[in-house]
Amino acid sequence: MRTTRRRFVQGTLATTALSGIPSIGRAQPSRARTIRAVMQGDLRSLDPIWTTANITAYHGAMIYDTLFALDGDQKTQPQMVGKFGVSDDKLTHTFELRDGLKFHDGAPVTADDVVASIRRWAARDGGGQHMMLRVKDISKKDDKTFVIALKEPYGLVADLMAKTATPLLYIMPKKIAETDPNQQITEYTGSGPFIYNKNETQMGQRYVYDRNPNYVSRSEPSSGMAGAKTVKVDRVIYENMPDSQTALQALKAGEIDFFEIPPIDLLDTLEGDPEIKVDVLNKTGNFGIMRINHLYPPFNNVDARKALLYLINQEEFMKASFGNPKYYKKCGSNFACGTPMENDENTAWFKEAPNLAKAKELFQKSGYDGRPVVLLHATNIDFMNNSAQIMAQRLREAGVNAQLATSDWGGVITRRAVKAPPDQGGWNLFITWSGSASVGNAIAWVGHQATGEKGWFGWPTDDVHEKLRDKWAAAANIDEQKAVAREMQKHDWDFVPHVWLGQWQSPVAYRKNLKGVLALPEIVPFWNIEKV
Amino acid sequence: MLAYIARRLASTVLVMGIVAVFVFLLLHLSPGDPAAIIAGDNATGEQIAGIRKQLGLDDALPVQFYRWLAAVLHGDLGISIFSNEPVAKLISQRIEPTLSLALMTLLIAVTLAVSFGVVAAWKVGSWVDRSLMVVSVLGFSVPVFVVGYMLIYVFSISLRWLPVQGYSPIDQGFGPWIERLILPSIALGLAYVALIARITRTSMLEVLAEDYIRTANAKGVATRSVLLKHALKNAGVPIITVIGIGVALLIGGVVITETVFNIPGVGRLVVDAISKRDYPIIQGVILIFSGVYVLVNLLVDLSYTLLDPRIRY
Repeated sequence: MRTTRRRFVQGTLATTALSGIPSIGRAQPSRARTIRAVMQGDLRSLDPIWTTANITAYHGAMIYDTLFALDGDQKTQPQMVGKFGVSDDKLTHTFELRDGLKFHDGAPVTADDVVASIRRWAARDGGGQHMMLRVKDISKKDDKTFVIALKEPYGLVADLMAKTATPLLYIMPKKIAETDPNQQITEYTGSGPFIYNKNETQMGQRYVYDRNPNYVSRSEPSSGMAGAKTVKVDRVIYENMPDSQTALQALKAGEIDFFEIPPIDLLDTLEGDPEIKVDVLNKTGNFGIMRINHLYPPFNNVDARKALLYLINQEEFMKASFGNPKYYKKCGSNFACGTPMENDENTAWFKEAPNLAKAKELFQKSGYDGRPVVLLHATNIDFMNNSAQIMAQRLREAGVNAQLATSDWGGVITRRAVKAPPDQGGWNLFITWSGSASVGNAIAWVGHQATGEKGWFGWPTDDVHEKLRDKWAAAANIDEQKAVAREMQKHDWDFVPHVWLGQWQSPVAYRKNLKGVLALPEIVPFWNIEKV
Repeated sequence: MLAYIARRLASTVLVMGIVAVFVFLLLHLSPGDPAAIIAGDNATGEQIAGIRKQLGLDDALPVQFYRWLAAVLHGDLGISIFSNEPVAKLISQRIEPTLSLALMTLLIAVTLAVSFGVVAAWKVGSWVDRSLMVVSVLGFSVPVFVVGYMLIYVFSISLRWLPVQGYSPIDQGFGPWIERLILPSIALGLAYVALIARITRTSMLEVLAEDYIRTANAKGVATRSVLLKHALKNAGVPIITVIGIGVALLIGGVVITETVFNIPGVGRLVVDAISKRDYPIIQGVILIFSGVYVLVNLLVDLSYTLLDPRIRY
């Protein structure tokens, strides 16, 4: 056969296509030593203090370490801290860092770094601000030791340093931590088990973390965010894959290893796959919330707010969005269910709801005059979309002139910050959710504030509630905290700061060749995981 | 000719200017606040206000517009609100996957569609013609994402021939590059095939009824030569026009296709930017897309002179 120019070109192209040209340039860790994970969304900001977004807290947990950490039983344990103690008068807390802690650039972690990191965190975190009101001074004693001097005894110092409600207290080098808390940091150096690989990262597409070979791990076994953080792979990549169907298929085909939030209606198909494990890592899950605007009628009247308690059938909201009862439950506790503070104080309404007649009666008693009630409605998030539509229908059945203000979530979070009256661009109700573990903490979760216009959206004001929060923070031990929590809940369901829509778990799905995946609320850790 | 090109290029600048004003106003007047999105769900109003101030979103709209336009005129598309990276850099990082996808789609679509159209016209009224037209109607009616999921199910999950998602740059090997483009190109190209095939058929039927075709047939010219050399060239003007118009379809389709197949292209960049209200990225990308669309149509107009010597500018 004669070789023509056309045949030569065809042959060359075909051979190239079949064999592929070998990769040029950078050495990459092998697939067997790399975990590819599709997380809950895009990592939009890399500053874990600047934003409260959970995905940024995940990023923080990869590259930074914490002074204290919550273990698998949600108990506070020392992490970067070695020895610590409190003076007899409970006013001076002294902490000593463990030996050998180093940042990714090789510099030692010092008390100066810690003090600057605490100050930046406390400037933005609700819990941190609560603590700082009681702090006289935070100072360095020597390179490894720092001291927190208090104006009054405060039982939450270590707990707030350990909490996983965002933003977490991550330790950064002093020069980075001195960045204005209202400006984003631009360098991402931590002392955590992974190193952020900026060169391999493509913003909006993939975020790359390499194993930190110099990480000084604790000797205790891994438990939650506490204990040893032994990294058993070379690299973890957060792949940003906005289409959940594509991510699901990629997991089945083995192109990714871990999928944080697979579509709940397709879990059956994953559970039937012998290569894939469906697992609940966050046992307490999430809590659906309807925030109420306390500034304007009708919900500036407590009877109208109580009417909402009787109007809601949590089962209905959960079923509409999560289908399988295996993954959801009803809960009437103001501290979520499955948390240490869960209790059933003053929950007669919960046992009785839904009670449409009672809701109507309470709306009438509140003096509701038929004015429009604006319910912010985000259409691009299933739970919010479904719940807003159900809520609007139930309000109409109770004789309320409910109006849905429809937009995407971006539109809702803009409008919810507007304090103007509902008919002038404001709002009456909006739907969101939070991690249940956070809801279980009276100080750490921003939604528990009742400090009026300084607080979270809805702006409830209640002095008794605030005094009880302070009492909770000053409690000497968990039993005392539980007692105060009951007291708070008794009061809270009489003034109704918000209403609950139910509690659910979001299972993760991963390839079965991942071993050692740790279960904990609100953070997804990638240390301790082996790829076999 | 040169005067015509100069006039058209001048009008391109005008069109892009109008697009810039509209895009800026539409974005800033629509609901949504990047500061609130950055701050996260647990942020207070005070924290959001701090971020707004820091980003300059508190300034009056004309001030913001002037600032952006002045930078664009100096070739600076601005800085992404979220990633702090220059928009031009982000677009340049994403251009290769989008260009690869668009060119591969064009190649597949034009090759298939013109062949289908010519064959359908040649065999007009036969089962071949009807079958091809049914495929065309289907191709035009079924949304890109449905076609995409079906292709993934068949070729990636069931047969395991091709990867589900992702993109491999061409410098990391031709094989991985092309294997990740096949499914997205077919998904994106199907509507394009339908559009071009139908116009090719119509245009060919018109030309095949001309006297010179009858003469060519009477002279005993081979059918292949009649179809491809005599008829197709003369039917080319409407076909090229539709290919040009279809670039808008392609740009819209790229956005969806890149999302379904997780391709890190400009389409994904703009979809992500819209969801988080990253104004500089949205403005930059739409400005570039509008420029590309106007320029492609200019090239299409100029190509008429190659197909029909009677056309002069």
